[in-house]
Amino acid sequence: MQAKWISKKELKKLLTAWTKHYLVYAPIDNDHELAFQMVKEPARIVVDGYSNTRYPAKSLFLPQSEVLMKYDGILHSVENTEKEKILFGIRPCDAHAMQLLEHALVDVENPDLYWKQKRESAIVISKACIAPEETCFCTAVGGSPFNTADSDVLLVEMGEDYCVYVLTEKGISLCKELPDAEDTQLQAVKKLTKKVVGRMPVLLPKQELHNALMASFETEFWKDVSQSCLGCGVCTFLCPSCFCFDIVDETVRKERVRNWDTCMFRTYSLEASGHNPRPTKVERTRQRIMHKFAYWVDLIDEIGCTGCGRCVKYCPVNIDIREIAEKALHREFEGMKK
Amino acid sequence: MPTTRDQKIQAEAKRLLQEGVVDVVIGFTKGTLPYKMQPCFIQHAEDVEQLELNGLCSNNLAVYLNHRPKDERTAIVVRGCESRAVQTLVLENRHARENLYLIGVPCIGILDLQKIQQHEQDPVLAIQEEGDQVHVTLKSGEKTFQRSEILHNACLHCNHPLPVNADMIIDEAGLFEERTFDKSYLESFRSLSLKERYQEFTKEAERCIRCYACREACPMCYCEECFVNHSRPQWVDSTIDPAGQQAWHIIRAFHQTGRCVSCGACERACPMNIKMTYLTDLLNQDMFKEYDFEPGLDPALMPPFLALGEDNEKFGVGPEGSHAG
Repeated sequence: MQAKWISKKELKKLLTAWTKHYLVYAPIDNDHELAFQMVKEPARIVVDGYSNTRYPAKSLFLPQSEVLMKYDGILHSVENTEKEKILFGIRPCDAHAMQLLEHALVDVENPDLYWKQKRESAIVISKACIAPEETCFCTAVGGSPFNTADSDVLLVEMGEDYCVYVLTEKGISLCKELPDAEDTQLQAVKKLTKKVVGRMPVLLPKQELHNALMASFETEFWKDVSQSCLGCGVCTFLCPSCFCFDIVDETVRKERVRNWDTCMFRTYSLEASGHNPRPTKVERTRQRIMHKFAYWVDLIDEIGCTGCGRCVKYCPVNIDIREIAEKALHREFEGMKK
Repeated sequence: MPTTRDQKIQAEAKRLLQEGVVDVVIGFTKGTLPYKMQPCFIQHAEDVEQLELNGLCSNNLAVYLNHRPKDERTAIVVRGCESRAVQTLVLENRHARENLYLIGVPCIGILDLQKIQQHEQDPVLAIQEEGDQVHVTLKSGEKTFQRSEILHNACLHCNHPLPVNADMIIDEAGLFEERTFDKSYLESFRSLSLKERYQEFTKEAERCIRCYACREACPMCYCEECFVNHSRPQWVDSTIDPAGQQAWHIIRAFHQTGRCVSCGACERACPMNIKMTYLTDLLNQDMFKEYDFEPGLDPALMPPFLALGEDNEKFGVGPEGSHAG
């Protein structure tokens, strides 16, 4: 890892220069919300002062609707037309989520080529959070506002400058012109890191929570926490680490597409026979929480939530995943492993 | 701090549970964020202190009648729109009126977070309501609003803030006057050319992420299988391309004709801030013009599109039918 330094003014110039050689995606205010968009005018990039985009960055690699194949009598695969691109300004929670998605989509017997091609053609410049929101809890699930996971470069805003952590070869190629950070500057970054992280929630006991949830499976607990759930897809569609999809043949357009799907929809687990193994919102809510806090832990010993807080902030009925985890931890379930 | 309104709601809830009149009281309680309240389901008299009602209660509680057992004896804290939604559900045979107890509250309106929080970068840290004034702490500093400045549009255009056919009314002043059907705010939309109207509609629909929060937040959307999920034949494009987004929004609205109670819960649930009530209000305006009908206002009056005449009994619809099954 290298630590470099750049002024805000110089970074703007650099961003403009990058747009000439790469496709750059960055947070842009589109009058309704902040969203990752392809940059046409570098001046419109929102560089500082935001917490996160509403729509998750996963959409750049796993688009909500994506054409997989076209057919007209025979099938045609869709050509890989991915160009090298820069993803600028992604938050560490979303970058961490991409790492989780790599486990689910790439580190498997048949890797997802559609994701892989997009992901491999991207250089990720993430931005540390120096002012996390009230709904942020990355530190509770094993992340940090300064997390470097799955980033090529991490920027830390320091007054009128940025400290630039260059983390990979890809990152070096972008930042080689920049001067190294000085020791006093790096000490200031460390101090800031400590201050920001110190105000964040403490780490959840991963294994204890896993065990509690496993013991809770058949209990009334899930009836309680799912009671107010409306059954919409807000929590999962805005979640940076949810990756379920449904493949549909759009026969009119002669395309095979995949769309995001969600365990919160009643149609998600509905079988052709008419049987639904998750017939009510009780089972569906349980699935969402168990997947994040128990099944991911079983699979890779990591929590599958990165603490971005979008589900907390945008749930129409204020179902709060933090509250559910806390409740599960504090309830005594029968036959619980200690 | 519970207001006197809250105390009256709590007292009535307590009585209903203690006397065994109902099994559950559905209301609102404090949320986990300073700008959110949560729907809650009180089953024990000792828990009634959780009940609160303020301008941050953004859902239509009648929606839960579609989730809960039909034979459950249920009390609901209802504002005007919620009571009208309950009436419509009763007329549509979703629930028997005698199993329901409506604790009516004259409405003070629902606050629109989008009007309070001008920028995503300037989040709300605290909200304090004080009569007509609302004190807000934003990240950028303190601000005091007149309640009317930050009301949700559905509440600004509300005609019937008083609960209809409630079993009791909490004796507290509401914020609005009752009026006969007035949706004059729609005139600016109606005066647009066809092309301009299409542009307006597209501008909203194109942000849709097909999460169906609007559908699920709506008491009137209770179909076992929504048209949008129907696959054989498939009626609507499944993607987030304009064809799918527009079809969803327009057909959803049409299914609400003469049924939508204009509560705006759909818009408040939408994570993308898509405007939708103008569509259903336009359709309701037609219903008022053609049939002199406003959804949910008269518990004995059949909605025009349900009034099948001679076949009512056969189809088990209407006030009589609702008691039959």
